[in-house]
Amino acid sequence: METKKTKKKVEGILKKEISRRDFIKTTALGAAGLSLSSWAPVPFTYGAQPPIKIGMLNEYTVFATEYGYWLGKVGRTAIAKINAEGGIAGRKLELHEYDTKANPAWSASMCRKMILEDKVDLIMGSIHSGVHLACFPLIKQYKIPLFSGGSMTYEFTGKDSLSLHGGYYIRNHSHARSQAVAAWKFGFNNLGKKWTFLNADYAWGHSLAREFGSRVRAAGGKTQDIFAPPATQDFIPFLQKVDPDTEVLFTAFLGSAGLGVLRQTVEVGLHKRLQRFTVICTTEGIGQEVVGKESIGAYYIEYHPRHLDQLPKELHPYEIAYRKACGVDKEGKEVGNPKVTIAGSHMYSMWIYPYMIKLGIEQSGWKDSKKNMDLIKAICSLKLKAGPWCPVGDLVMREEDHQGFNDFYISRVEPDLKLKILEIIPKEKAMYEPETDLRKIV
Amino acid sequence: MVSNLAVAILNGIVWGLIMALIALGLNMIFGLLHIINMAHGALYMLGAVVAWYVIELTGNFWIGLMVAPLCVGFIGLIIERGLIRTIEDKPIITIICTFGLMLAVQQLVLMIFGGSPRRISPPIAYRFPLFELQYPAMRIMIALISIAMMIGLWIFLRKTKYGLWMRAVVQDREMAVALGIPVTKVYMWTFVLGSALAAFSGVLAAPIVSVEFMMGREVLIMAFIIVIVGGMGNLEGSVIAAIMISLIQGVGALFVPPSIATVFALAFMIIVLLFRPQGLFGE
Repeated sequence: METKKTKKKVEGILKKEISRRDFIKTTALGAAGLSLSSWAPVPFTYGAQPPIKIGMLNEYTVFATEYGYWLGKVGRTAIAKINAEGGIAGRKLELHEYDTKANPAWSASMCRKMILEDKVDLIMGSIHSGVHLACFPLIKQYKIPLFSGGSMTYEFTGKDSLSLHGGYYIRNHSHARSQAVAAWKFGFNNLGKKWTFLNADYAWGHSLAREFGSRVRAAGGKTQDIFAPPATQDFIPFLQKVDPDTEVLFTAFLGSAGLGVLRQTVEVGLHKRLQRFTVICTTEGIGQEVVGKESIGAYYIEYHPRHLDQLPKELHPYEIAYRKACGVDKEGKEVGNPKVTIAGSHMYSMWIYPYMIKLGIEQSGWKDSKKNMDLIKAICSLKLKAGPWCPVGDLVMREEDHQGFNDFYISRVEPDLKLKILEIIPKEKAMYEPETDLRKIV
Repeated sequence: MVSNLAVAILNGIVWGLIMALIALGLNMIFGLLHIINMAHGALYMLGAVVAWYVIELTGNFWIGLMVAPLCVGFIGLIIERGLIRTIEDKPIITIICTFGLMLAVQQLVLMIFGGSPRRISPPIAYRFPLFELQYPAMRIMIALISIAMMIGLWIFLRKTKYGLWMRAVVQDREMAVALGIPVTKVYMWTFVLGSALAAFSGVLAAPIVSVEFMMGREVLIMAFIIVIVGGMGNLEGSVIAAIMISLIQGVGALFVPPSIATVFALAFMIIVLLFRPQGLFGE
């Protein structure tokens, strides 16, 4: 209720004449206050600028769900963290998430939906090469950057990059060629010179056999290739064909077939006369206790160790924080759900991408899709140092082919079913000559 | 070469018997109810998943082998009463409904059980030497259980009153009704038995393959091929077809790349269908 006293006061103020001196003094003080306020820490406010829309595609149903679960979880956590820290250039990250159903045709339609309906600025995720391949024409046409979640086809950053995706594809993780370049020598020097590849009969399995095999043969070794359908259940007909003088059995299957081949190798007694070598992809998201004692003695190529204590000490603080944020314990199990094992050698890609995007936007001054190529160039020239956003250690992006490199690890399954690191292979030893030069794109 | 051939033949027969058991439930449901049960693979998977939980609780494979078929049989009962009965005699609708059911069960298991494969340890770890290789005794045991189950089923169909009713319903449903056979009850229990058989084979196969929500998909395709080649509704035909297809794949893989051997098995199916559309032993 307005009292007589307040009414009088208001009238007094309104009637009061303002001198020029008063005006200048007040304005100057106001301007100074405003300028100072911009220096003061202010809470992140949404709505001032439009959000940066991030599309995310992963395998949540049908196939490779053990990957999709973790890539999705880590991607969501990283984006939430970026937002909690103030977003990127004052803009909130808005996530648009879709299931690939491990189906390239479906994924292409989801990619189209994200670009045309959701109007996403960037897309990330999926370990499925077929999914990426199906999305390439769209990202090329609409000039939308696609960040690979875990595709292992080396050709995507190879000589045909420009025609495949026009330079709009970025990969911060390993693939069949970098794995072979990094790890073949360990196998050749320590495990044996005569190799048999028993791999899944599709691009990934063939790619690994070709990349490792060519290096083994060039060094004077001998190789044999056996390919089996990706969902093989009975491996005995295939294991029967392994040459009797084989010293190294290299296998590459996903999911239950990955488990099946390791176990059935032991069932038929082959493990007694040869060494088993494989990429961690075969048992990502699957605990070694699920594979069982049959996996003891098998050698793995890891891209980021599953067990915290196997990581170099200097990375521990970053790794602990990363695991805590993503709900992962020190043995690589989900906190509160010890039956679920991480896809640790793959999911880190989704943790690092939002940070790379943040750095890229800050460096390129990106505001919208008109400067997408500038953003890509900024991202692909990043040399990340180990830190809270890069728990895998230093990660180098290569401008020429948009390919990233970090350290590799050779591990062996011990009797306690733990993956013990035997050797760390520095990223420099995984590098190969780029087959393309995407720096020329304007 | 002789040793490889011997291993391939033995493994072909053993794997064929495992596949025959999987196809048996599917064939029974088709033979009697004329329902192409696309959810059979999902019931097979459900059996393995239920057994995994039971074995986690009890640590005993054999309890899992007994409990899982009972649970899945009960689920089969609900499916028959709640879904199949309302759409019987509508083949296309049953295919679509059971296909939908398969997807629903798969996604439900994905939500509860998770997407990662799990393991059921074989109750028998013994392996015996077989030429240059070893052969797991567990597979032989599974094959023997399959044979026992098939003999049991044959006795059930030929020597019991209920089996007689089932055969009567297959031959002439109207006449069976006229003679006082409880046809709806026969239908119901046949579906329950078929579901339980799918679960039983899922538990038996689980120590060889891994338990996961999609494990029924590949098996379903092979089970259909076996049923088609053996003759729809012909149980003995299924067994012979399963062993033949498995042998073609196994022995063929010795001489050609294994993927081509799989093509041989499919070509065999096409040839059979060209010359005997009713299957090898179908009438």
